[in-house]
Amino acid sequence: MHSESNWNPRLRQLAARLPGIIGKLIVAFIFVFPFYWMVITSFKPYIETIQFPPTLWPQNFTLDAYRSILGKMNLMGYVKNSIIVSVSEILLQLVVMIPAAYAFARYNFVGKGIMFGMVLVALMIPVQVTFITVYLLMAKWKLLGTLLPQIIPFGTNAFGIFLLRQSFLQIPEEVIESAKLDNASELQIMTQIMLPMVKPTVITISMFSFIGRWNAYFWPLVMTDVERIRPLTIAIEKLKDVEYGINWNILMAGNVLLVAPILVVFFFASRKIMEAFAYRGVK
Amino acid sequence: MAQIEFRNVCKFFGETRVIENLNLTIKDGTFTVLLGPSGCGKTTLLRMIAGIGPATSGHIYLDGKDITHTPPGKRGVAMVFQNYAIYPTMTVRGNIEFGLKNNKVPKAERDRLIKEVSEVVGLTAFLDRKPSTLSGGQRQRVALARAMVKNPKVFLMDEPLSNLDAKLRAAMRVELIELHRKLKTTFVYVTHDQVEAMAMADTIILMNDGEIQQEGAPEDIYRDPNNIFTAQFIGTPPMNIFTLSERAGVQIGFRPEKVDLSYEEGSGFFRRKGRISTREMLGSETLYKIDFPDGVSVMVKSLEETFSEDDEVYVSVDSEDLCFFDRSGQRIREGVDKLLALAGGSN
Amino acid sequence: MNQQPETKRRFLTKEKILPYIMVAPAMSFLLVFTFYPMVNLVYLSFFDYNLINPNKKFVGWRNYYDLFFLRKDFVVALKNTAVYTGAVVFFVILLALLLALWIRKDSKLHHFVQSCAFTPHLVAMLSCAMIWSWIMDSNSYGLFNTVLSFFNISPLRWLNSSTTAMLSVVIVSVWKSIGYYCLIIVSALKAIPAEIYEAAELDNTPRYRMFFRIILPLLSPQLFFLLVTITINSFRVFDTVRIMTEGGPGNATDVISFYIYRYAFRHFRIGYASAAGTILMVILMILTAVYFKVLSKRVHYQ
Repeated sequence: MHSESNWNPRLRQLAARLPGIIGKLIVAFIFVFPFYWMVITSFKPYIETIQFPPTLWPQNFTLDAYRSILGKMNLMGYVKNSIIVSVSEILLQLVVMIPAAYAFARYNFVGKGIMFGMVLVALMIPVQVTFITVYLLMAKWKLLGTLLPQIIPFGTNAFGIFLLRQSFLQIPEEVIESAKLDNASELQIMTQIMLPMVKPTVITISMFSFIGRWNAYFWPLVMTDVERIRPLTIAIEKLKDVEYGINWNILMAGNVLLVAPILVVFFFASRKIMEAFAYRGVK
Repeated sequence: MAQIEFRNVCKFFGETRVIENLNLTIKDGTFTVLLGPSGCGKTTLLRMIAGIGPATSGHIYLDGKDITHTPPGKRGVAMVFQNYAIYPTMTVRGNIEFGLKNNKVPKAERDRLIKEVSEVVGLTAFLDRKPSTLSGGQRQRVALARAMVKNPKVFLMDEPLSNLDAKLRAAMRVELIELHRKLKTTFVYVTHDQVEAMAMADTIILMNDGEIQQEGAPEDIYRDPNNIFTAQFIGTPPMNIFTLSERAGVQIGFRPEKVDLSYEEGSGFFRRKGRISTREMLGSETLYKIDFPDGVSVMVKSLEETFSEDDEVYVSVDSEDLCFFDRSGQRIREGVDKLLALAGGSN
Repeated sequence: MNQQPETKRRFLTKEKILPYIMVAPAMSFLLVFTFYPMVNLVYLSFFDYNLINPNKKFVGWRNYYDLFFLRKDFVVALKNTAVYTGAVVFFVILLALLLALWIRKDSKLHHFVQSCAFTPHLVAMLSCAMIWSWIMDSNSYGLFNTVLSFFNISPLRWLNSSTTAMLSVVIVSVWKSIGYYCLIIVSALKAIPAEIYEAAELDNTPRYRMFFRIILPLLSPQLFFLLVTITINSFRVFDTVRIMTEGGPGNATDVISFYIYRYAFRHFRIGYASAAGTILMVILMILTAVYFKVLSKRVHYQ
């Protein structure tokens, strides 16, 4: 009798919610566990990786895999390529994209509709359609031995133009009008007023671009046939080659290098990053 | 008896206390208005009756039954939201019918009820339209119809007129009053507009900061406020209140329209001389601001428009139109004679 | 002061040219790297063009004839792509929707689950494919097989069996995509005003009806967007196939994008690969057109 009335209703509520909480944690686990596995495998010695049953924590913690990768295979060279490609891409796209988005948002000119339509169509075209011709072009222009084929073809970020134009359109007309009353030139309006106001969008687009180039596999696979211009993704895939057998620990160490930068940034800025991606869907 | 009772109700949002230990009875069949500034808790109380914003602790009774834990759909209450909340993807008919379908009302009966209700609110021609094609006023009627068709024990309304233009608002006010008279159901109406409250209510419950300041008929609240907050919330312009005696901690108040203005000293109990600092001609009456030499200013509403700025005038108020308040803002009703003595005479 | 002729001024003012200058770089890149390749792809498809011997030979429709009638493998690739797309679209939308409904209320736990689900989206497909290769490894130490062993079931050859290979590839894609699409659906759910849910509660609405009559219609613009996006993206699948199965075993997971790549860069038959690429392009265009015509009528806009 007494014990019944001592059951705090809040406690009872919590007990009812427990299965839901556990279920959600299981779901989270499903998405994260493979990455956990990737990390611990990279710290195991080779024999432990093919052990059955597999261990959930390295029994013999070792840096062998990383030593191989950084020493014998010189993965840092590939990392350098990936960084150069990704950063150059962002710069190129910003230079191309900002004026274009600005023009689409602020000016009326003949052909604007058609041109913007072309931008939208470009959103739908996958690389599998364009790669053959672009490869032939790059071969003809003798650029295949450089990093350029990984950068230039993506100069126009159609999605970026779309997003940025939207951001420019959202700036209230009154802000621009009071700038005009303050006797500002067109260039001043663009650089000192409008650009700072769309900074979040620019950062978002740059982030998408960086991730896109950093993670790219198919395109560099097609466009690079010389080691010195290959990015990290190709290098890691080559780790699968018969020469080394499938050394899971080395493979995973390589993947850790590829994945870690992005995951670290995501860990610190998860809310902001997810907000940026979510905006994408609100058309 | 659709009487609503709140017993020891508390509402916390996280750490913030919004309402604490509130007790209130809303009588059956009345048009009760929950009035107060933003954040006073009036909408919170309304949502507790509906069940969509449950109390943190305490009990709510409807018709004698404890509905504190009853799901909203099973309480027999209907609500008209401030933004109407009509289902955008259904037709007007679909909106009105939705609750009936959920309550398993048979089709023939549903059709009859919809026909009746849409005639009452004037929506018969719009039954097959979608909400996006309707005007604000029409959407509001849909919300109203949806509530009426359920034949509820209580009608709840959360500032339903605030999104309408002034003319429509005035017309809808009259319609709602007539509706209440016809249906004789309990209406609980939330607003921050004291003019609206005074015009529509049988009972006003004035709230501030989660507490009930005063409860009563509009005339009573107007003429006999319990505290300074009430005195100054109701009435435009608000009651003039200023310190009578700093030492005794007494404040005195009177309404602007209860003041007699004259170039000669008046005959009222409270008499003072002052100078007119501003004059606003409102048409049927004129609003004057009078400055007294000791720094106090009062607003006076007069039918006389003949006074001009900078005129020296005499202000005079009868004793029954004076209110006294203590240091904490509460109305003093005992020992008024002594206070009158303090206030009386001229200076 | 001398006046310039009016007419000359009117056509070539600095203001008039400015927008064109601003869009010029973007348009140039588009023309060179998107539109020209599209046209060129069709052009090349009519040639027999081997990378090793740069002389093209015009062969008319023969590549297309080969694609559909002579060789059987393109049809298989088409079929595989259709199966893959159908499965991924179905499971991603279903699971993302269910997850979104489950975690739509704001809370620390829900934000945590959302972040975890979103993580695979940011990670390179390559890495996801490699990690899952281990999970699905045919040896007994692969995770799936380890789990099966707890139930005393003998190991399955996940990626090495033509019956389960496609399933495995689908699983990886679905796992990677759910988090992102769930996020979009959650945003859409949050955009529905709380009052509508409240009004429905007051209308005594049962849970299933709340979903089908209220939430779903209001969600339909986003779901439509999701349908189009996921479908079009499914035709691009390449990394998983290349890393995990190489199109195999046999033809079991050969998809269009992999097919095109193989014929272009392994067999060096550019013309033939271009024909396959043209078919892909045509399919995508038809799909986009069909979606916008048929489904836009059913979508509810507020």
